[in-house]
Amino acid sequence: MRRLLSYTQQALAAPPRNPRMAVVIGRLLAIAFLLCFGTGLYSHFLQEPEPWMRFSTVPAQLYQVTQGIHITAGIACFPLILGKLYTIYPQLFQTPPVKSPLHLLERASIALFVGASLVQITIGLLNTYQWYPWKFGFREVHWALSFVVIGSLAIHIAVKLPMIARFWSRNSEGSRELRGETAVDETPDAAAPVAESAPVGGVTGRIFRWIDGAPEPEPAVSRRGFMTAVGVSTATVVALTAGQSFAALSPFNIFAPRVKGTGPNALPVNRTAKAAQVLDTAVSPDWALTISNGRRTVTLTRAELLALPQTTVELPISCVEGWSQMATWKGVRLRELLNKVGADTSQGLKLTSLEKKGGYRVTQMGPEYAFDSSTLVALEVNGDTLDIDHGYPARMIAPGRPGVLQTKWLSKLEVEA
Amino acid sequence: MKVTRMRVARIILIVIGLAGLFLGALIMVQKERPDQILGVIVWIGAAIIVHDGILSPLLLLLDVWMRRAGRRIPFGVLVIIQGGVVVGAIMSMLVLPEIYKKSLGTKNPTILPLDYGLNLALFWAAVALLTAAACALYLRRRRSSRDAEQVQPTSAA
Repeated sequence: MRRLLSYTQQALAAPPRNPRMAVVIGRLLAIAFLLCFGTGLYSHFLQEPEPWMRFSTVPAQLYQVTQGIHITAGIACFPLILGKLYTIYPQLFQTPPVKSPLHLLERASIALFVGASLVQITIGLLNTYQWYPWKFGFREVHWALSFVVIGSLAIHIAVKLPMIARFWSRNSEGSRELRGETAVDETPDAAAPVAESAPVGGVTGRIFRWIDGAPEPEPAVSRRGFMTAVGVSTATVVALTAGQSFAALSPFNIFAPRVKGTGPNALPVNRTAKAAQVLDTAVSPDWALTISNGRRTVTLTRAELLALPQTTVELPISCVEGWSQMATWKGVRLRELLNKVGADTSQGLKLTSLEKKGGYRVTQMGPEYAFDSSTLVALEVNGDTLDIDHGYPARMIAPGRPGVLQTKWLSKLEVEA
Repeated sequence: MKVTRMRVARIILIVIGLAGLFLGALIMVQKERPDQILGVIVWIGAAIIVHDGILSPLLLLLDVWMRRAGRRIPFGVLVIIQGGVVVGAIMSMLVLPEIYKKSLGTKNPTILPLDYGLNLALFWAAVALLTAAACALYLRRRRSSRDAEQVQPTSAA
């Protein structure tokens, strides 16, 4: 029993559980969080732009890369956050649990930070395979929590800043003390790694002395081993899933929820024709695309669209959920259709799909996309007629936009005043 | 000078932090119903309980058990095995929910198209193989460096 308790004590004070390690992993985690936050903001504003916002249409793979980074960095957060929490776990049992109102506030902010971060990456991961075992809205909560997480990260860095500075580099004061290269000064310092506490009296003290009397066990966790394990875990989860977003890694994709080249037209599907309730309307012989600019209206059937000059472009479908796929699209340049109704290059568009309902049934498109030479009303993909799940009879494809805005089953294009 | 710079940095960070928390809370109350917000709070609480109350103590138990076993096993071997288990466990944490979700059914066949259970089994086999290889390599190195230590004095004599 005595030995077991001693082991537990030693395990809690394992060598990797020190401030230098917390700083090293904390830095990596902060980078991953900021990557997720930055790319997340970009994705958010692409989908819900402020009226004055304009976005870059080049390179066409821009969104593919930013969202691929968003999802991949989010996956990398799992080993990093677990490693980080491992290094600080004994802090959970600090005594006294609360020293002052400010200390309580600090501990509460850390609890919120840890909890919100874990929820953020978990619901993000589950969203990549469209699993929502909760009753709140994913997009709204993921958006709100991103500010909570980044806000509590800033507060956490502010609180820990003196310690971060002490352990920032290998040669910082604290890191050298930790290696025993300089004598630990006797001034009471919260950052000192193994602050020797005053002898505890009473029963607790007796128990502690009894435990300490057990033969010292060999260390069973090494610092270098720990860092290697965290590093290898991060590299592994990235290498075996990032192939859904990055073509170079797709041969190693054995765990991602999406696989390049699967699905009709060798292209994965986000929302099927059945889910969008367009199985009848999309194949109706009455279908025609309506393009309007104020009172000027042009209506074109699929045959009429096919009779217009056709353009072929290579553009990726890049989903918010992180997967993406390059494809060859063929169809009519959108700007040529807009010219037929006398649209001005400063005007944006409102796109309406045949979908019965859904958040993306009606969407906006800024003029930078509408008049880009590679934006098409696509009729074919990868050498075949569009599959109904890919938006037959006609869909939008524009460079650098999230997949949900590449409207499928187009019905109406209205030039906005 | 350095102290004041740190103080300014800390104040700026706290202001950014409070602004972030405020904005997050604002978005939450604007976009979600009270029962949904309660759901988020429950999730956050559950995340803390699952990590601090279940995962970490389990890891601690494993650690204690390894320490006991560790008396008979060379330290390096123990570290390599721990590394292998950590890599496998973290990958499993990400893949097991996929396997479960796939069993519930997905919205279309291009979501979760792989045989994740089989892949995970193969992955663990690969981890076990690599761990064993690393242990063997470590033990051989250790033996040869020990032999070298023993040989040196005699050759010098």
